[in-house]
Amino acid sequence: MIIVRDVHKRYTTRRGVGDWVLRGVNMVIPTGRSVGLVGSNGAGKSTLLRIIGGADYPTRGRVERHCRVSWPMANGGLEGTLTGRQNAKFVCRIHGFQHELPERIKRIEDFAELGKAFDEPIQTYSSGMRSRLQFALSLAFDFDVYISDEVTAAGDAAFRNKAKKAFDDLSHKASIIMVAHNDATLKAFCESGIFLKNGKATWFDKLDDALQAYKDSI
Amino acid sequence: MNGPFTNTLTVWQALFLRETLDRFFGSRAAWAWLLIEPAMHIGFIGTVWGMMRKNSMGGIDVSMWIILGMLSFFLFRRTSVQTLHARDCNNAFFAFRQVRPFDVALARASVEAFSMFFVFVFILGAAAMMGLNVVPDNILQVLLALLGLWMFGLGYGLITSVCMRLVPDSGHIFQILMMPLYLISGVIMPLTFIPMPYREWLLWNPLVHGLELVRLGFFSNYHTLDVSFSYLFSWVLGSLALGMALYRGLETRLVMQ
Repeated sequence: MIIVRDVHKRYTTRRGVGDWVLRGVNMVIPTGRSVGLVGSNGAGKSTLLRIIGGADYPTRGRVERHCRVSWPMANGGLEGTLTGRQNAKFVCRIHGFQHELPERIKRIEDFAELGKAFDEPIQTYSSGMRSRLQFALSLAFDFDVYISDEVTAAGDAAFRNKAKKAFDDLSHKASIIMVAHNDATLKAFCESGIFLKNGKATWFDKLDDALQAYKDSI
Repeated sequence: MNGPFTNTLTVWQALFLRETLDRFFGSRAAWAWLLIEPAMHIGFIGTVWGMMRKNSMGGIDVSMWIILGMLSFFLFRRTSVQTLHARDCNNAFFAFRQVRPFDVALARASVEAFSMFFVFVFILGAAAMMGLNVVPDNILQVLLALLGLWMFGLGYGLITSVCMRLVPDSGHIFQILMMPLYLISGVIMPLTFIPMPYREWLLWNPLVHGLELVRLGFFSNYHTLDVSFSYLFSWVLGSLALGMALYRGLETRLVMQ
């Protein structure tokens, strides 16, 4: 269970304090229920995901995680100058698997199917390749909730199918919270939806209702 | 999956390995430059003093005087500069909740201590082959003084990195500050050459104390000014306490986008 309490967020840049992106988001996301975030560009979907995943902090309010939550799978978490393999080793080590590195790395390498590029620096990767690695990395560890920002959507069709299948195998013990701009991807993975607009979030038990609310708002 | 203590420990190990790899093999001859830079400084300053027909400094051989001062100063400077940029170079890893800004700073500073160990061994080894006396009279005093310089470098790096995060332009000031610090810390010119009352003023600089204590640890007959461990370590404690308090208090600011 993840509890989001009155989360407000605004970004501070060198031009000063920006507008509120999130203005008081309250929700309880139960474990075992996959959720898709919908909303227009800039509605705060990625911001909310990053805050839920703990990669960023709310300006006000807080998030309680009562289960094992993955890091937000997005462009963060990978160091561009290191190779895919070096990044994978690092991630395995910080999760406490330094004693079973070869097995874990093998699993990641096989799942990501990057071929020779696995030993090339990440900064040479395309966004699809990054997504493959990100997805393979987080699937190498057991989390109760996986957080995915467009990662599952960015790969090609073959990879999307593979990701879907891998995720179905996990679905009895894990769920996903995701952002994707493709309705089909969302429908394939999620049951419920959260619709973000003007910094507020609305929960829908059925994803279709959330998508409908989004379409009505345009 | 693990307790908080083992979690932190595994993060430190992973960061240490990642940073070591980057420091020694980040570019084709990264490891060689770690050695060449201080060696060039030592060679250059040694030549200057040689041309001035100066053979001893405070009763010890001028070459050893330069080597010890330069390496000790480099230990401080590299540790502080690496700590200063630790956050920016590992920004991506804050996506993982278990990686905290302080972990990154500590890992980077430790890598610097590790790499400077090799630099010391190589350069002192080369000095020994040239017939200089490189066996310290009091090795514990040398190690304690070097530890003080390293910890002060870490503390200084922590404080300056918070400043740079809050006011990005301050990074330029810290870069500029390193140059006068090099000149007034007794690396290339002994403080005894400076007339009173200015000499007393320069003794406010804790680096002077660290450098002179290293030289005293190698040569107990070295004449120098009145330097003390308690002064050096007050700065160490002060800077580390302030730096860690800032990291604790502003942890979210350091990580936030």
